[in-house]
Amino acid sequence: MTKEELIAKLKTIVQPYIQDEEAFKNLSENTDFINDLKINSANLVDVILDVEDEFDIRIENDEMEKMTNVKEAMTIVNKKLAK
Amino acid sequence: MIGNDIVDLKQAAIDSPDSFIEGKRYQRFLYKVFTESEQELILFAKDKYQMVWLLWSIKEAAYKVNVQQFGKRFFNPKRIQCELISLEKGYVKIDNETYFTTSKITKDYVYSLATLTNITSIKSKCFKIKNPSYLKQSETLKKRLLESLNINCAMVKKNGIGVPKLFINEKQLNYSLSLTHHGNYNGYAIL
Repeated sequence: MTKEELIAKLKTIVQPYIQDEEAFKNLSENTDFINDLKINSANLVDVILDVEDEFDIRIENDEMEKMTNVKEAMTIVNKKLAK
Repeated sequence: MIGNDIVDLKQAAIDSPDSFIEGKRYQRFLYKVFTESEQELILFAKDKYQMVWLLWSIKEAAYKVNVQQFGKRFFNPKRIQCELISLEKGYVKIDNETYFTTSKITKDYVYSLATLTNITSIKSKCFKIKNPSYLKQSETLKKRLLESLNINCAMVKKNGIGVPKLFINEKQLNYSLSLTHHGNYNGYAIL
């Protein structure tokens, strides 16, 4: 999967939970889920579950700890898919 | 230092269908968020759904204090461990730190406060704002907070890690603040 494809998939996953449309439109690798998209932390759990389902992977709590932005989410998904 | 957190129970039902026992991913949701002893509290609670969000709001409130203390954010709800003394009182451990918590439960929301010491003189309030816009609610919340303080020309600004701070003429005041917003409910706490 290319970087662009992965970002596009993540974008679809986070869409239901975002509270800042402008930041969502401009979503990039550097977008933070909480500071930029204003996703509330309860919905961050949903994002993680959705990522697990979409890519058929399981994310441990210590990995989830860093998953608060697009870049980290991409790193973790890529690491899991490479296994 | 102080942290507060509110959960609009109706909003949570819409946003997080996995937090219901009937939810398709209920078990996975519980496992991601709650320690074993917290899962037991939920299992034996009269109102399981309410217990899920009570524990959540307690964790969030304590986490907000922790971020002010150490300046570092993280997302790992299980690292934040709750113990309840009653539905209204409890404490939280994050690594080696202990936080004291108090909560208020109504049929519409759960609201929790966390502090480093067992103090009772906290200025805090929670209320309903019926406006779906995130920005409008955030503005109203800040306005109400400033009104309650009765300080002229003060401003609330978030610092680099998202902690709200009080300023007068660009000068930061030495208050600990916490703001919370969810669905139609908002709250603030000052120490």
